[in-house]
Amino acid sequence: MPSVMNTSLTGMLAFQRALAVTSHNIANANTPGYSRQVVDFSARPGTGVGSGYIGGGVQISSVRRMYDDLLGENLQTATTGQARFSTLNDLASRLDALLADPDTGLSSSLQSFFGAVQDVASDPASIPARQALLGEASSVAERFQSLDGQLDDIGKEVNAGVRGAVGDINRLASSIAEVNQRIAVAGGLDRAPVDLQDERDRLVRELSGKVGVTTALQDDGTLSVFIGSGQTLVIGNNAQELAVQQSEFDPTIVNVVYKGSAGTASMDRSLTGGELGAYLEFRDSLLDPARRSLGQTATAFASQFNAQHESGMNLSGALGEAFFDVATPAVNGSANNTGTGSVVASVGDLGGLTGDDYVLTYDGSDYALTNFSTGAAVPMTGSGTVGDPFIADGLELVVSGAPAAGDKVRIVSTAEAAGSVRSRISDPTSVAIAAPTRATAALGNLGDAEISQSVVTDISDPALLSTAVIEFTSASTYTINGAGSFAYTDGDPITINGSEVTISGVPAVGDRFTIEANSGASGDNRNGLRLAGVQSVGVLAGGTVSIGESHSRLIAAVGSTTHQVKSNLAAQDALLTSAEDAVMSQSAVNLDEEAAKLIQYQQAYQAVAQVVAVANSLFDSLLYATRR
Amino acid sequence: MRTSTLGSYQSGLSLMQRMQAAIDHTQKQVSTGRRLLTPSDDPLGATRALELRESLAGLAQFDRNATMAQNRLSHEESALASVNNVLQRVRELALQANNATQSNETRAQIAVEMREHLDQLVQIANQTDGNGRYLFAGGKLDAAPVAKVGGSYTYSGDQGQRLVEIGDGRFVADGDSGDAVFFRVRTGNGTVQALPDGANTGSGVIGAVGTADMAAWVPDRYTVEFLDDTNYEVRDSGGALVTSGAHASGEELGFLGVRFELSGSVAAGDRFVVEASPNQDVFSTIDKLASAIEMSVIDDTSGAVQTNGINAGLRDIDQAIGRILDVRTQVGSRLAAIESQVDNNSNQSLIATELLADIEDLDYAEALSRLSQQISTLEAAQQSFVAARQLSLFDYL
Repeated sequence: MPSVMNTSLTGMLAFQRALAVTSHNIANANTPGYSRQVVDFSARPGTGVGSGYIGGGVQISSVRRMYDDLLGENLQTATTGQARFSTLNDLASRLDALLADPDTGLSSSLQSFFGAVQDVASDPASIPARQALLGEASSVAERFQSLDGQLDDIGKEVNAGVRGAVGDINRLASSIAEVNQRIAVAGGLDRAPVDLQDERDRLVRELSGKVGVTTALQDDGTLSVFIGSGQTLVIGNNAQELAVQQSEFDPTIVNVVYKGSAGTASMDRSLTGGELGAYLEFRDSLLDPARRSLGQTATAFASQFNAQHESGMNLSGALGEAFFDVATPAVNGSANNTGTGSVVASVGDLGGLTGDDYVLTYDGSDYALTNFSTGAAVPMTGSGTVGDPFIADGLELVVSGAPAAGDKVRIVSTAEAAGSVRSRISDPTSVAIAAPTRATAALGNLGDAEISQSVVTDISDPALLSTAVIEFTSASTYTINGAGSFAYTDGDPITINGSEVTISGVPAVGDRFTIEANSGASGDNRNGLRLAGVQSVGVLAGGTVSIGESHSRLIAAVGSTTHQVKSNLAAQDALLTSAEDAVMSQSAVNLDEEAAKLIQYQQAYQAVAQVVAVANSLFDSLLYATRR
Repeated sequence: MRTSTLGSYQSGLSLMQRMQAAIDHTQKQVSTGRRLLTPSDDPLGATRALELRESLAGLAQFDRNATMAQNRLSHEESALASVNNVLQRVRELALQANNATQSNETRAQIAVEMREHLDQLVQIANQTDGNGRYLFAGGKLDAAPVAKVGGSYTYSGDQGQRLVEIGDGRFVADGDSGDAVFFRVRTGNGTVQALPDGANTGSGVIGAVGTADMAAWVPDRYTVEFLDDTNYEVRDSGGALVTSGAHASGEELGFLGVRFELSGSVAAGDRFVVEASPNQDVFSTIDKLASAIEMSVIDDTSGAVQTNGINAGLRDIDQAIGRILDVRTQVGSRLAAIESQVDNNSNQSLIATELLADIEDLDYAEALSRLSQQISTLEAAQQSFVAARQLSLFDYL
């Protein structure tokens, strides 16, 4: 028969423990990820006394944590999403501010450069104006370099971020595996301390902030974690590792690889969400395209300006030199190459240039070109020799040497161009503002034919600067330098020595027109006007996009992506807050509730203690009765 | 719904933080006066703003160019006005000298003044625009364009004309070459000139030359030779007979659509040359005129030579005056074009500035009222947070 003493003792023990659980809850009121614990009481079965059963007191059947797996998973997803957009937002906003700032951006610098060109065009003989142009030229070059340098710095930070995130993921994965083991050793969820589950949930949540994961709870209480396209990160007490590997083409590019039991596999494209996913996403969809686009602008600007400058004549009567230095497309051989092949890349057609990176692979007999980012095959024409280079997407590739089968090179068409822009001219008289040739009509001409200004159509003509005299032998025929007889048609263009002129009107016999080197023409600005026109003339994308447009497209693209990221971040913040609220309202401690429980258990404890006193007095009564 | 103590702390806190971020944003807007702080605030607007700022910078540049061109053209205009005055004065002097009342001495004085004017004209032709750039040298600015070399005037500039961009795709020439202004001037009536041969012994004087029928005119060098004092033959440069006829003093003589007046008395063997007008620079024109005036007249023959010289000079001076007038008209229309383009540019920049302000600038009234609303919301949130946190059951234990 259960004694009153024993029954009350079970109550005292149970309420003591319940009070302990409550105080644990109160102590952990501010512990992040802590799930409040509740005590389940149940009545101890009684013993039969013939007329029925008398209960045997109370026992604690379990100590549970209040936690909803579904809400927990929601929180995990929201954490991944929020971490992704928060990291993206930080990076994209910096890029956005960098590119568009009126003080650090390229637009204002390009604008003042072309303003200076206009100033020289309006006053070509002015040395101060030429000097100012050279100043603006070096500041444009510096702006390109500094933008490129800052993009480079962001790239380095991204690399460091990737390394950091990979380290964190590996640390968290091994911690989860450890908790798994402790739970398994304790004999499953029912036997293991509930705080271990909290600890594991906290770890998984932290991991979700680093990268998107999926989890599955196993029967033995362990949690399996998968990343990417289903690769196992943690299974049981076993954690796999991610690692950072340098690209075979360029040690400054890092890739994330999965070190599975079957060797390493690239993970770059399958890792999404979280900090790591955001770093990779930012690099692939914003940073690298921005560098390519900036490089494309730099290449177009420098090449186009150079070409026009080389088509002019400077103050010393020589043809203009290249105004800017700009690097040709970079060629990086793979570290795994075994042959001795080499590839030289150059820009053939600005209009065809995409700015993308490519991989040229030699298969033992043929070369094949693929897009580095998409892996898509890119058709090439030509045979790869100097005379007949491979031509694809505006690039010209010349191959030589003896590559081995499987050798690869990466061709960076423009991404490294912006950092290489330098102003080459330091002498103001070397700025070629005049046209190289001029056309003049002899003063003694009796006819009323007039000659237009000459336009250079072929700057490489070796006889460009030689003097050519057109002399009319009749109203409809002329000789050139006294030789030949050419038919004259009023208003038709005449091309001599790479210069084109138009004679119109009726010439008289003996009328002479001269095309000659435009030496001493310090006041001529014909090439200056063309140089100023470089700003607005379409060069890229098949000749439809000007230099200025190319850059404002980049700013618009980065701006709108950043805008999108910002609004996504706001949405993810709200999602995360609501997921957190949901989990917290289920799991976190409410101090008032605990205070109430404190009172409740205290009173219950006092009550059972009173029962002990009653039992005691019963016993005393018995003793007293038997003493007599 | 159940609320947890930690959760309500956190949500209260994050609400306040969000409010603070909003206040921070508004405050930045107010302190910079800009609605758009970064392009991502309004990517479309930011791109548009960038374009507008570029076009404003372009318009400002066009205005700079226009000011430069205006300055040069004004200098040119004032130089051309002086040239015109000089030529008019030279013309007056020539008319004065062409009077029978003048003696060799008085004519010599006139010639002296005329040569002074010639020097002045050379000076004007070598004028600069105030920045040391020769006005009439075309593109060759390194040396003064007009010089007298070995008795004749040479032009060392070129025939180039500098264009300046004063509007989008709108170019205007900021000057004229000395070749066009002073050197490439046709003599005679601009098409045909008639001059006596230097060896004439008669006193034939050529009057006005007219081209009655240009379609009949075949450009060549024709010689009118008098066989006696009335009959003449006209032969072309190849010596072929074009026409022949008789001429009485004071009548017009004509062939192939060209007519000229011939007065005085001609002698047998006297020749007159009719040909397509060559170019003659205005300096040589004055020089020749002065030489004609200077020569001493001793008989009818030398009188005729002088009169012919002065007449030819007057015709050439008129051509030069006509040329200067043409150029001045062009300069005037360029200046007018610049002015209207500058007006146009300033209208455009006004519009662009307004559009830019619409996109970028802050509506202060709206922003300040938003700011004060945000601040009072934050204050209310802070007060209620503190009040709610003071409620605890533990206080009553």
